Amino acid sequence: MLEINNISKSFYRKEALNDVSFSVRKGEVFGLLGPNGAGKTTLIRIINRIVEQDKGSVRFEGNLMTEKDLLHIGYLPEERGLYKSMTVQNQVLFLGRLRGLSKKDTLAKIDYWFDKFQINDWRKKRIEELSKGMAQKVQFICAVLHEPKLLILDEPFSGFDPINVELIKQELIEMRAAGKTIILSTHNMKSVEEICDRAILIHDSNKIAEGSITELQSEKKEGLYAVRFRGSMIAFVNALWTGFELVDKDILGDDRFVAKVKMRGENSFQDLLKVLIGQIEIEAAWEMLPSMQDVFIELVQPIKKEADEK
Amino acid sequence: MKNSLLIAIREFKERIGTRSFISLSVLGPLLVLGMIYVLFTFGGNSKQHWNILIADHGNLLESKIMPGKSGAVSYSFYNGVINDADFAEGKKYQKFDALLEVNEKVLTNKVGFVFFREEPDLRMQSRVQYHLERRLEEVLIERFKKISLEDYRKIKQPLTLRFANVYDPNEESSSLEGWAGLFFGSLIFAFIFLFGMTILRSVAKEKSNRIVEVLLASVSPRQLMLGKIIGIGFSAFLQFAFWIIIIGFGLYFMRENLFPDLLDAGNMNVTQLVIDSAEQSYQESHFAAREYNQFIELVFERLKFTNILGFFIAFFILGYLFYGALFAAVGATTGSESDGQQFVLPLIILLCFALYAGFYTLNYPESPLASLFAYLPFTSPVVVMVKLTMGYGVGEAYQIYVSMIILLISAIVMLLIASRLYKNGILQFGHRVRLKHIFKWLRKT
Repeated sequence: MLEINNISKSFYRKEALNDVSFSVRKGEVFGLLGPNGAGKTTLIRIINRIVEQDKGSVRFEGNLMTEKDLLHIGYLPEERGLYKSMTVQNQVLFLGRLRGLSKKDTLAKIDYWFDKFQINDWRKKRIEELSKGMAQKVQFICAVLHEPKLLILDEPFSGFDPINVELIKQELIEMRAAGKTIILSTHNMKSVEEICDRAILIHDSNKIAEGSITELQSEKKEGLYAVRFRGSMIAFVNALWTGFELVDKDILGDDRFVAKVKMRGENSFQDLLKVLIGQIEIEAAWEMLPSMQDVFIELVQPIKKEADEK
Repeated sequence: MKNSLLIAIREFKERIGTRSFISLSVLGPLLVLGMIYVLFTFGGNSKQHWNILIADHGNLLESKIMPGKSGAVSYSFYNGVINDADFAEGKKYQKFDALLEVNEKVLTNKVGFVFFREEPDLRMQSRVQYHLERRLEEVLIERFKKISLEDYRKIKQPLTLRFANVYDPNEESSSLEGWAGLFFGSLIFAFIFLFGMTILRSVAKEKSNRIVEVLLASVSPRQLMLGKIIGIGFSAFLQFAFWIIIIGFGLYFMRENLFPDLLDAGNMNVTQLVIDSAEQSYQESHFAAREYNQFIELVFERLKFTNILGFFIAFFILGYLFYGALFAAVGATTGSESDGQQFVLPLIILLCFALYAGFYTLNYPESPLASLFAYLPFTSPVVVMVKLTMGYGVGEAYQIYVSMIILLISAIVMLLIASRLYKNGILQFGHRVRLKHIFKWLRKT
């Protein structure tokens, strides 16, 4: 769907992107992760042809990207703005038409989205009368109105209350189901875990990791397993013996626990289950993957330290 | 282009919807009308009666000129040549306030000379001009019994009276029409400045509220800038149309209602008019109205509005595009609205200089510097207006087209340069733009 090949970009001697390459497959939600100032927004602007790259190329559906392809891209920038004195409907109409829709089509789409987001009462309101969250909804509609094949969202959840975050997430999941491709740049790692299929991590203008979310998590896993059981905690600890180490525990009730265990030596998950069976009543057991938050910190922190030391 | 049009329509709608647009469209022209009213009412002169000697050595006018017994001016004839130095010092000429020199050439080049002791006010100047012009028409009509086109044009060509102080005859004098030209030129620049600042503010606003990023994902910076300039330009044009209509109606209303005595029969001077047709009273009434005040005459009769209007519109549009692009570029390079002020200053200086150039041309219309100003795109919208109303000579008409073509090319070049600055400046947030950045952007493709 989208191929980024060896993109480099500098602004007045300051490097924003250095030889970044990756590809986004059709129908996936692709996470674009990285600390502030890593170069994510520059990359997004290059894809949107707002900024020109110094080196490298962008291919859209197999061909070098042209201005025409912009009609198939929806974009919600991080720094969002709307014309404050315009009414909601006129604003959406204007941006829809700029994206190549006819007036009639735009109005029909406005009806659809305003009904869906239950904001029909706002049509005649001026943007300056809306709260930040309300304006965000309008901006989201502006980005998806022309049913783009590729939707690029830069921090789409910032400024939303939890209910609206959920609404937008559901919307993105529906879009993916409908075969749309989504690039999501965010610091909200929980949402990355929930909806992203794959991601890349950019730090200091370089790509430092790429893969599916599970792959990224697996790379940083520490051999931790969790067991939810019914029974006595003492019996559980006794059963572990020397081959395993109890790292942490959560008490769920009088005789229900979740224990977090680390393997020692060559012991495997199978071995753990074997020693536990008969001692306690296992309800569930699973491998504990690090959260994306932890993955993020682990990947970024060492490089940062190294840079600081230099 | 479609996107530019969409942007232009949006800008246009936003401008005309504002309260300031509506109030300026109405109050602006009313203010101008008020000023005209003041000039109409208090435009009188201190010297009530002028005694003018006409030196007509070829007896061209046959010692006749109308009106013979006007209260404001009386003419005496001398069929010989009078040197202006003799007139200045000669005892027998001291009772005359001014010397009007007429010779055979006046019939072809339509230029007459007036040497005055004390500068007549504009009203008196236009009155003398009017009298001589009508008399020359009669002379010409008598000469051309069977009139050819060329002769007709000779009659139609307006008379130019060169006024000079008899004690200092080389001093060049300004003309009333030139002032009107300066007024039109200044009007162009007032609108350019007003709407140029609107462009600047609009660009800076889009930049500061960050909608520009959404827009740039759909349109190129050049389309965005062009759409903005066109949209705001149309609103400027609409406002200008309001001005023209309101001032036009206002002038008509003043003539009909506020100055009814203009049409009073008591003001008529009929003694010298040899007209028996039914149109007589109409002409007389016009004559009287013209006599009343030079501003009325200037506004209603002497300015060739149809001539001026076409060029006015052309220079208005081109000048606006030229400066509008500059303002857009400045708007795009500024970090915030207040930050933009430092770059606006050179623009203001440039505009002021253009006005000065217009004023200079008014005083020294024939100087080479004035010709240069007429070609420079920065100054030509004002200077050409001044020159146009003062009248380009026969065979000089090409100059106005040269000015126009230079301005057109400059406007296109300026739009290209500005769009490059715009493209590079519009997404630079939150840091001060320095001059070296601007040069760097200009070099970048």
